[in-house]
Amino acid sequence: MTPHVALAGAFRDGNAPAEPPPGGDESAPAVELDNIWKRFPGVIANAGASLTVRAGSVHALLGENGAGKSTLMNVLAGVYQPDEGTVRLDGVERRFGRPVDAISAGVGMVHQEFRLIPTFTVTENVVLGAAPRSIDRADLARQVAELAERFGLSTDPDAEVWQLSMGERQRVEILKALWRDAKVLVLDEPTAVLTPGEAVELGRITRSMADDGRSIIFISHKLDEVTAFCDEATVLRGGRTVASSLDVADLDGARLAELMVGEATEVSQRRERSTPVDESTDPLLRVESLTVVDLHGRHVVDDVDLEVRRAEIVGIAGVAGNGQRPLADAIAGLTPADAGRILVDGKDLTAAPPQLRNRAGLAYVPEDRLGVGLAPTMDVVENSMMRAYRRFTKRLFVDRGRAGEHADELVRDYDVKVGQMGAPLAGLSGGNLQRLLVGRELDGDPSVLIAAQPTRGLDVQGVAAIQQVILEHAERGVAVLLISEDLEELFALSDRLLVMHEGSVVAEFDPDTASRTDVGAAMAGAVGTATDGAVSTEASS
Amino acid sequence: MKWRLAKRDQPLRGGQVRAFAVGLLAALVVGAVLLQLTGHDPIEVYRSMFDSALGSRRGWSATLTRAVPLGLAGLAVAVAGSMGMWNIGAEGQIIAGAIAGAWVARIGPDLPGPVLIPAMLIGAVVGGGLLALGPAIARSQLGVNEIITTLMLNEVAIRVVRYLVNGPWKDPAGNGFPVAPELPDQSSLPDLFERANIGVLIAAVVVIGVGVYASRSAWGYELKVAGASARTAEYVGISLKAKLLTVLVLSGAIAGLAGGIELTGSSTRLVEGVANGYGFAGIIVAALALMRPSGVAVVAVAFGAVQIGGESIRTQGVPDSISNILQGLILFGALVAAVWGNYRLVRPSSGGGEVAATEGATA
Repeated sequence: MTPHVALAGAFRDGNAPAEPPPGGDESAPAVELDNIWKRFPGVIANAGASLTVRAGSVHALLGENGAGKSTLMNVLAGVYQPDEGTVRLDGVERRFGRPVDAISAGVGMVHQEFRLIPTFTVTENVVLGAAPRSIDRADLARQVAELAERFGLSTDPDAEVWQLSMGERQRVEILKALWRDAKVLVLDEPTAVLTPGEAVELGRITRSMADDGRSIIFISHKLDEVTAFCDEATVLRGGRTVASSLDVADLDGARLAELMVGEATEVSQRRERSTPVDESTDPLLRVESLTVVDLHGRHVVDDVDLEVRRAEIVGIAGVAGNGQRPLADAIAGLTPADAGRILVDGKDLTAAPPQLRNRAGLAYVPEDRLGVGLAPTMDVVENSMMRAYRRFTKRLFVDRGRAGEHADELVRDYDVKVGQMGAPLAGLSGGNLQRLLVGRELDGDPSVLIAAQPTRGLDVQGVAAIQQVILEHAERGVAVLLISEDLEELFALSDRLLVMHEGSVVAEFDPDTASRTDVGAAMAGAVGTATDGAVSTEASS
Repeated sequence: MKWRLAKRDQPLRGGQVRAFAVGLLAALVVGAVLLQLTGHDPIEVYRSMFDSALGSRRGWSATLTRAVPLGLAGLAVAVAGSMGMWNIGAEGQIIAGAIAGAWVARIGPDLPGPVLIPAMLIGAVVGGGLLALGPAIARSQLGVNEIITTLMLNEVAIRVVRYLVNGPWKDPAGNGFPVAPELPDQSSLPDLFERANIGVLIAAVVVIGVGVYASRSAWGYELKVAGASARTAEYVGISLKAKLLTVLVLSGAIAGLAGGIELTGSSTRLVEGVANGYGFAGIIVAALALMRPSGVAVVAVAFGAVQIGGESIRTQGVPDSISNILQGLILFGALVAAVWGNYRLVRPSSGGGEVAATEGATA
């Protein structure tokens, strides 16, 4: 489902850039971020990133996860102070010590997580912190309504925010920025929470703001939106600007995807395979026409079929938020399937509760290791026994001695560095947490392992250790579904590589022959450009 | 440089005991100043408090008798609290238990004691559980905050018992006092020693039994997982809804038992003040036990001793208000101490070390 594609250009045609706003240097760009560096402990988020935005334009800021987009925009919005580099608005150099400095200089930002008070009305949220001294509520509501109407932001100023849809809440956030007279408006992945119809509406709104002389920076990694809504595009990769102010009209999906993903500089370290996958066996995990509908009625998993055989690792690539998480949760039983079937070793588990699936041989390493996989306030022993405690229970009572021995074994076998076994988990490092979690999940000799982002955020050693464990178990016959945003990892480990986009599996690749550029293009929704390594490419309706 | 409290990664080892000692000492010192200022000899008053609560068989019998409703109410709160729920309605559930027990005695006044007493206690358990059933269903099915619902039902229970003792159940021979008729003689719990009756044993079995069960059983483990992280519980297949429902009803049932034991033990008839604030005191007991059911028994006895000791000094000319302040100081000191072991004082280092590193990594 890619309705945006059809809209390409719909909002650009016939819309010449409006005149620059009064005041300031009319020839200077509205925003200039020059050679921005921002370092965090262990991470360089921005390594000389630059961005130039014309007044009255909608400018796309593209890049993969971790490319440094949010950091750069947080620098512009005064949330972070850059280690090096300059910020200029209308040609004037600015230093923002706090977000409020940026706001008063005319920079507004709509974050991915909305910052609204659910029990306040639209008007109250919009004027909060920026209300005139004498507050006449009716008058304020009228002013907010006028402002909304001016930019085509249909909203009820007296509605309370909790009653609104995500799209309406986003419009309130935009109104907040306009109320503070933002000349530059940053939208951080604004369409991630929207239905297709709401996304189209957003395109119209951004255009009307640009026509008013404002500049909109549109963070995205969806190429179809960029071509539909934006005038120019800047691409970040690894914290650097790799292409700046490209004219969107000259762009095609494959070119953008290549810029975002980058050329494969080195051949990925392919793993050694001693037991080849036996194609003749029945798959251990079979997912048939699985559909998951979220609370807003969106098909976050849309008619997905997949199979994983004994000793096979099937990788799932995709930009975050394209249905990987609900797919994993639905297979593990944490999210109900709205249609389709889930079979483990031939057994239909579509309606089974999580512990039955676990008993049937399904292990799950969830993406959120400390919020779902482990309980941070409980100790090592208690976390280790979460899957096995029923085995340790005799006549109602848990045999703590056996549970302790079991935890000792896990800690030893998976090389988890712990202080005291009786101390809460919260003190452990990410790598050690993940070793414990992976070890616990693989402990009951499962036939299927779902591993979601298993190495995200780990250090080099941690990554290697977890990948090694996954490989070893695949060699022993475990069917592994590996969901990752790290292409290196997917290429290194997978036997087959599927790409998810907007809830659907849109392409399948053979990692031995596929190019990363093609996989990247499929991830960005540019299906059809994938050619060389593609085994099959499903049509995207 | 500002000092601030930071949570410890792990509680200080043995810190709990030390903290309690310090908290208690601090409370006694402040109390001593207060007593001195009001013209009392602190040493004498403290000795008298200790003697009357723990210094004799008679003192122990009073302390243990007081510990019964405190312990059961504390257990009720702690059982719910161990999975992250707040049952603020133990007061009402005690009343509901007492009403149900009294009702059993009304329909079977001629039953022999060995039949009538268990029947009344079972009635009390059911009564307390029933009052918690509504909040339990609302919480587990609709996510309605149980703090509000259980708290409001206290008011309902208080008004129902007031209505009963002023209306249909009013004792015609009660000289106009709002009390129910005397319960049949055989409904009194047998004596244990001095002032204590076997209610002490029943409560001890329940409080210690449930405490051990909650800390050692698979059921208790599941409660702990659910309380620590609801999403983790769902992930390992613990049915959150069923747990919320059963645990809150169980909590109400335990409080109801306290009402039943009060009715068959300490009092001879149903009165409006049957719960006597024990349900609210139970919240303090549970908090002092750090919401661990296994810690309730010890805390309840200590709390009972403080109450009995505090009440006894009133006979020596110490005003009620001072006695109440003393009790409050001791509990406050203990409560601060109970939490203290989990924290430490830190002085934040200079520089903007507050920026989360992970934010940059996921930019």
